[in-house]
Amino acid sequence: MAVAVSVKTALQVAEVLEAIVSRCVGPEGRQVLCTKPTGEVLLSRDGGRLLQALHLDHPIARIIVACVSSHLKKTGDGAKTFIIFLCHLLRGLHTITEKEKDSLISENIQTFERRWKNCCQWKFISQALLTFQTQILDGIMDQYLSRHFLSVFSSSTKERTLCRSSLVLLLEAYFCGRVGRNNHKFISQLMCDYFFKCMTSENGMEVLELVDDCFVELNVSVIGLPVSDSKIIDGLVLHRDFSVYCPADGDIRVAVVREIIQPVFSTSRSEFVLNSEAQFQTSQIWIMERTKSIMKYLLSQNVKLLLSTVKQPDLVIYYARLSGISVVDCLSSEEVSLIQRIISLSPFVLPQASLQCEISDTALVKFCKPLILRSKRYAHLGLISTCTFVPHCISLCGPVQGLVEQHENALHGAFKMLRQLFKDFDLNYVKKANDQNDALRPCIYKNNRKSNQVPKIGNHSIHRSYQDTGIKNSDKLEKTQYLKAHSNLVVSDVELETYIPCLTLKMMPPDRVQTDEIWRCLPPENKRITDDYELLIESNSTRNSLTENPGIEISYENFQVTNIAGKGSMLPVKYKSLDTCISQSFCSSSIPAGCVLPVGGTFEILLHYYLLSYAERCQQLEEIVVSKLIASALLGIPKILYKPKKGSHSFPQIYLRALHTLQTSQPMISCQAGLESVTGKYHVLTSVLQCLTKILTIDLIMNIKRQPLKNCDQDSEDELQH
Amino acid sequence: MMSCLEAHKPSLCHSEPLTTEKVRAKLTVLKGVLTSCYGPFGRLKQLHNGMGGSVCTTSQSTVLLRNLSVTHPILKILTTAVQNHVSCFSDCGLFTAILCCNLIENVQKTELTAATTIKLNKHLLNFCISYLRSEICGCRIPVDFTSTQILLCLVRSILTSKPACMLTRKEVDHISALILRAFLHTIPENTGEPIILGKCIIVPLKGQRVTDSTVLPGVLIEMSVQLMRMLPARKSSALKVALFATSLSGDFSDPGEGSVVVSYGVSLENAVLDQLINIGRQLVSDRVDLVLCQKVIHPSLKQFLSNHHILAIDRVGVTLMEPLSKVTGAQPIGSLGPVSPSSYGNAKNWCSAKFGCKHFFHLIPNEATVCSLLLCNRNDTAWDELKLTIKDPWVLLGGGCTETHLAAYIRHMTHKEPGSILQDDGCTQAELQLIAEAFCSALESLAGSLEHDGGEILTDMKHGHFWSVQAGPPSAVNWPDLLSRCGCGVYSSQEELTWSFLRSTHHPFVPHTRLPQEALEITQQSAHSLTVDCLTAKLSGLKVAVETANLILDLAYVIEDKN
Repeated sequence: MAVAVSVKTALQVAEVLEAIVSRCVGPEGRQVLCTKPTGEVLLSRDGGRLLQALHLDHPIARIIVACVSSHLKKTGDGAKTFIIFLCHLLRGLHTITEKEKDSLISENIQTFERRWKNCCQWKFISQALLTFQTQILDGIMDQYLSRHFLSVFSSSTKERTLCRSSLVLLLEAYFCGRVGRNNHKFISQLMCDYFFKCMTSENGMEVLELVDDCFVELNVSVIGLPVSDSKIIDGLVLHRDFSVYCPADGDIRVAVVREIIQPVFSTSRSEFVLNSEAQFQTSQIWIMERTKSIMKYLLSQNVKLLLSTVKQPDLVIYYARLSGISVVDCLSSEEVSLIQRIISLSPFVLPQASLQCEISDTALVKFCKPLILRSKRYAHLGLISTCTFVPHCISLCGPVQGLVEQHENALHGAFKMLRQLFKDFDLNYVKKANDQNDALRPCIYKNNRKSNQVPKIGNHSIHRSYQDTGIKNSDKLEKTQYLKAHSNLVVSDVELETYIPCLTLKMMPPDRVQTDEIWRCLPPENKRITDDYELLIESNSTRNSLTENPGIEISYENFQVTNIAGKGSMLPVKYKSLDTCISQSFCSSSIPAGCVLPVGGTFEILLHYYLLSYAERCQQLEEIVVSKLIASALLGIPKILYKPKKGSHSFPQIYLRALHTLQTSQPMISCQAGLESVTGKYHVLTSVLQCLTKILTIDLIMNIKRQPLKNCDQDSEDELQH
Repeated sequence: MMSCLEAHKPSLCHSEPLTTEKVRAKLTVLKGVLTSCYGPFGRLKQLHNGMGGSVCTTSQSTVLLRNLSVTHPILKILTTAVQNHVSCFSDCGLFTAILCCNLIENVQKTELTAATTIKLNKHLLNFCISYLRSEICGCRIPVDFTSTQILLCLVRSILTSKPACMLTRKEVDHISALILRAFLHTIPENTGEPIILGKCIIVPLKGQRVTDSTVLPGVLIEMSVQLMRMLPARKSSALKVALFATSLSGDFSDPGEGSVVVSYGVSLENAVLDQLINIGRQLVSDRVDLVLCQKVIHPSLKQFLSNHHILAIDRVGVTLMEPLSKVTGAQPIGSLGPVSPSSYGNAKNWCSAKFGCKHFFHLIPNEATVCSLLLCNRNDTAWDELKLTIKDPWVLLGGGCTETHLAAYIRHMTHKEPGSILQDDGCTQAELQLIAEAFCSALESLAGSLEHDGGEILTDMKHGHFWSVQAGPPSAVNWPDLLSRCGCGVYSSQEELTWSFLRSTHHPFVPHTRLPQEALEITQQSAHSLTVDCLTAKLSGLKVAVETANLILDLAYVIEDKN
């Protein structure tokens, strides 16, 4: 049976989903209880999980769920916003068609034909959406929205330093939507403490990656205690108990093994021939003696703790106890690889012949002791980290399994979110600039990357371009103006610095390669020219100060960061900074790491405003239609967020105030504390637009009554497992 | 595989589950069942499975909730939360469950939004906890470890709250004394930091009189009659003990992943037996008197040992290994190689004992923190309670007094200083009054459910304690004559108090905080009649109850997977 797809049916489906999801969204959102066929009970506010638990039947719903889950795979956040936004877009489309239908009805076309016509029209709209997403959206993000961005990094030093107070705000807002109302403050505090305890350097990226990758190993769930008993534990808690525990102090060294220590009669694919009873006895005695001497040897190397991925036989355990070596065996390979990652220790390989040599594969630990959490015993190690991660674990308590699981998922999601936030995100948008300057850019890019050869060649061009820049700068003030705008904001100066290093990593557009080649052919000049350069720069910087171009000045200060970015370069530092400042003033289309906006629909309202103003300036009809459609759909989210609020905090009031501040170009003030990631929001927006185009391009749904093929794509395999 | 390919049935999604009449009815039924079990006068429930199996009579939350098959997801959340709490603390299960039900029920009547109620419940909980932990708390007694009275009261209170044990007053006294004695046994004499408690092995015995229960130092190993008869005559001197963790049965150890080829005529059994006999020879020459083995001892080795007057006991089991090692100081031996002399332990003596129809080998230690408690009715609860009390040496007044006192204190504070509870969260005072009333009446009706015989519950207007009176009191009576002592037994009715009915609305009054010293002194004298609860368990129970209630109130949907 085939079902015709129309916006109306899609809207109906989306509205049902929206009704469910909208009750869980935002700080006023509530919990959902899901039961599994196995009888387990799960609590969740996570949109993705809810959609999965519903086991939707309707084909359109399945498309939506598939889109959401692929979006979640990428970002791990924003499923509820996705649904709400999609629903509003469909609603907007529906009203447009309703209007058109009125005009169409007068014409006498057959229904079938009309449907085809409709389909063509949908295809047309979906293409317009796609063009919008790929060509217009990024530009608006970069040109207009970016001036409102705040950053979680503070700016006192050249290095990016994470600002604790903004992280608190960010996490609180995140957990508001993820965790039950009575726990979100506690959990976000826990996470914040945990993150700062684990972090040694200013930049938490490495920590975030490690925690995200090994989250399961780094947290222990304790069921039966109140949530408020959750705590951070110093050191690493292994999810296993000691097979042997011998209290030890002082110099404790640890070794990791991946094989059974006790020798066996025969290894695989070999044969052991027993010829006499005496031979059997001697070999057994040899095995014992060998095991004993290995243990003695380990002890002589001061190894007091043995971690093993395999189960060690009783004999090994016995001799370990005799030697005073504690043993934890049957560790999961994930746990062992986490330990290896923290203390950079490779597994210890048993020497084949003599036991005289020293083994290098041991590491010091501060302590190792059993830890009892609610009558379950764990091995607790005080590892001495060799990376930026200071080992800590979280013990998450809760009265029921489902609640602990929810908190675990939320914490893991928060680490994912931070990990994404700490990365730069390149926008698919190149700022328009003068041809000559455009041609220059790839060359500069090369300069940074390939240090020795290209830079000297590049000199010439930069020399030329620089003059251009100087002139351009004066008349292109408008373009660089947004940099100035930052100083209006509270957390202002940070972003400027973070922008720059990422820019040097800008991909080179392929069509420019040729120009680059030409420059490469230029005769290389010697170091003298570099000196010239410094002069030039100086002269230039004076001009800068004359023209008072903030963009150049600020990037100029930042040369140290660039220097770090282009490792191994022998170039004078100042030279580098010149490159960056030029490339910056001409193309800056990326969302830099750490960009955030206040919660409560700020992103949506801002984008709404700029889309509308874009639509006013726009000439093409479909662009106007699409921009307006998206702009009005964007308001759906703040509408839901402010639904329970009354008086001056109601949505119309907030909206009007925001519009007013934008029109008078005052800084935006959010009435809610809390921050959210810009990249996350941006991803939701693009994913929804992609999903919508997918829905619009389908005209018929055919029901196949056959078992799904075995070698289908990944998604259907996933579904089978559930 | 076919079932995997079957299409999923779509799930069922109910919105606002708590508002439906069906769910409310189910909650009421559950609450009814639990309330009727609560307290020393709780009614017993007989659980029997229509499909067969044994019938069990209980009023304990552990047994009750384990056996009840709850189907509705909301009830499931509630019962699992309680069960998990009980598995941690082994106490206050019914307290937690009933309080949670009461809270849900009362809060729903207020018809405030979930957001407000949850916020306020949380504030009230924090307020209660900080009060109960504070110095001024009026329902807390420090545990004096120099005298056993409070500890004895604690054990007694727990035992009496389990009516299914069917103990007489005398039996309760006996058992509580035994439990306490066994517990004191496990505290090592030379206490360093941290205190490592010894072990008490509880040996259940059926079909014996309760008063026959005893505490014995050392370890009891159950044996068959035949083995008992084979035991040699007793020796008076000290025993040298060898403790084997490895099997002495002569089985072949792991040959590895490859293959082992045995030539014709080679007998591995003989080879292993040779090894075993070698060990036996060493044991003989080392003058070992007693061989204990966790696993099986080969009959030939056993014969060899008994020929040399060595007592051999096998199949001791892994649970007894640690206590045995502790009692004797022996290192469990894990290899068939030569035994190192340092791994031997010693014991003072042994004897055979017969309790009821069971025969035991009783190992008497020189000096150790291990003892065996022979019990007719197993009661681990009291045990865990004592351990917790050592960690946090405070007890709360029991018998409903803590609840009524707490309710009175909250009422008073919400009227006098609402700011101390309300942390500017956008909640109004009126909202606080409503929720505080719901919270307090949840506590009070919890205390009220201690009364099962149609009696009336009163509270005094000075301390806010719990008083119960027999059913049908005449309208105008002299209360001091009718009442004797409050629920926990601290105050007597002769102390110039005024009373009012708990269920009636009454003005908030200032309950006396800080237990007066003289009350405590009376306590010491008349400790026999005090009822006390463990602070840690009760606090956690309170937290779990409120957290679970909040969780359930926060539910917007229930999605049921019907696959």
